[in-house]
Amino acid sequence: MSAAPAATAATPDTPRLRPLVTERGSAGFFSATARRRIEILTCEDCGRRIHLPRPRCVHCGSTNVSWTPAPHTGTVYSHTVVEHQVHPLFPVPYTVIVVDLDGEEDGVRLIGNLPGRAEVTAGTPVRCTFEDLGEDAAGNPVVLPVWEIDTERASSGTEEDA
Amino acid sequence: MSTDPTWRRDACAIAGIGTTRFSKDSGVSVTALAVEAAAAALEDAGLTPADVDGVVRNDMDLVSCAALADGLGVPHLTYWGEAGPGGSGPAAMVAQAVAAIMSGQATTVVVFRSLNGRSGRRFGLSPVVTPEVGGNETFEEFFGPYGLLSSGQYFALMAQRYMTETGLTSEQLAQIALVTRKRANANPAAQMYDRPMTLDDYFASRMLSSPLRLFDYCLETDGAAAVVVTTTERAKDLRQPPALIRSVAMSTCRHPQPGLMYPTLMRENITVLPSRECQDTLYSRAGLGPADVDVAQIYDCYSITALIQLEDYGFCKRGDTGDFLADGQIDLGGSIPINTSGGHMSEGYIHGMNHVVEGVRQIRGTSTSQVEGAEVSLVTSAPPPAASALLLVAA
Repeated sequence: MSAAPAATAATPDTPRLRPLVTERGSAGFFSATARRRIEILTCEDCGRRIHLPRPRCVHCGSTNVSWTPAPHTGTVYSHTVVEHQVHPLFPVPYTVIVVDLDGEEDGVRLIGNLPGRAEVTAGTPVRCTFEDLGEDAAGNPVVLPVWEIDTERASSGTEEDA
Repeated sequence: MSTDPTWRRDACAIAGIGTTRFSKDSGVSVTALAVEAAAAALEDAGLTPADVDGVVRNDMDLVSCAALADGLGVPHLTYWGEAGPGGSGPAAMVAQAVAAIMSGQATTVVVFRSLNGRSGRRFGLSPVVTPEVGGNETFEEFFGPYGLLSSGQYFALMAQRYMTETGLTSEQLAQIALVTRKRANANPAAQMYDRPMTLDDYFASRMLSSPLRLFDYCLETDGAAAVVVTTTERAKDLRQPPALIRSVAMSTCRHPQPGLMYPTLMRENITVLPSRECQDTLYSRAGLGPADVDVAQIYDCYSITALIQLEDYGFCKRGDTGDFLADGQIDLGGSIPINTSGGHMSEGYIHGMNHVVEGVRQIRGTSTSQVEGAEVSLVTSAPPPAASALLLVAA
């Protein structure tokens, strides 16, 4: 885990599809990203992750759960190069990646978007930055965790969890 | 093999089947399609709308049970129900009809699915039109902002991971599209009836979301399909030879995740589907196993979906599946001929319901790609969120 990198601001000429950050089930996640942190809902009794967030621990049933820091690094679990446009805000080609967070149990994953036909395979190391998407209509900050290839780790060949 | 002593085998049967034309533009409403398919199923069974007392719909259908009964002229419904989600539904919808009949809530149940899947809201395009994505318990706020916005992209991620884990090649995966296309070429009702496909054609088709190409996708379709479920005792007196419902099964998996589709990317392994659990229930209720199945209609929204289910329902083992496909085992004359009407990829995508209809045809001996002497016919309805399946047998 590293110090929070600077966020990149969205500009008016690059409209983005923003996540709804106020859903009661997931608002804690976006409240953390607004502070440039990744936090995953965690059971305080059994210690396991509850991802995606659920009302109580899906492993032990405890309601004693909280948003707890998670690594800002990971590796690619799967990817697809999208060549067929399905939404006006997403011209093709672009690459969607599914990221396994480093050191977490299977299933603790986040999604990323890489420009163009990215050169990735399962195990490619990636790291998180944060993209500021402005505010929603109610003035809540909307900050999206985004991923980029961790060129330092990729070139040193020290892939974890590959 | 373990057997389930509480399930009553062969108590109910499918007595009638009906479909509309499958097209890119039906020119009529989904209610009109549903009524047409249901009326055809009743006519096939030798029944009238006055005989119907139950209706089961799909949870994604735009047509309500009351609207179908209204359009069909059913005087009095005593039961209605629905199952889903979406394509996981059709076998479960038949299971609902069985449950209604066995509990005495209905005697004659129409099960239907109707959609203008091409001329209406297209499945292949993102439904997101707002500047914000997610909410309403979809959890799509974790997915949509990254451009993960269509089912094809989701199944591409599954296929890519599967290829990483098993070494499956594109040539092997292509067999699903090629074999089901051959079945469509024998079926005049299939949208791809007059469109043969070679391996070169497959590789020439556009990559839509790697590693999936155009021909790994199903056909967005306008159309409807319906069946009539009643007791086996009654079905034996009706117009057609009944397809007995040997067993039904519905299943979720451990920690299935909320929402519909994208959240399942957070399951421990995205190449394992709820059909794996479904087959245990299905076969134990039937007292049958995969070796007893003569023909299978495997839910094929995408090639990869069908491929993984071939493993889950016990026809081949992970690691050998690529060779199993390349050896022609899913072709006519193979160990498990699949999707004999052309399936979703080459007949039409009626969200699993046309698979139920074709499963019945195989028991009647009336398929355009009939498996000689077929006595046990499997129909699956698909993952990712949940799974359901039927085993049909001859009387």
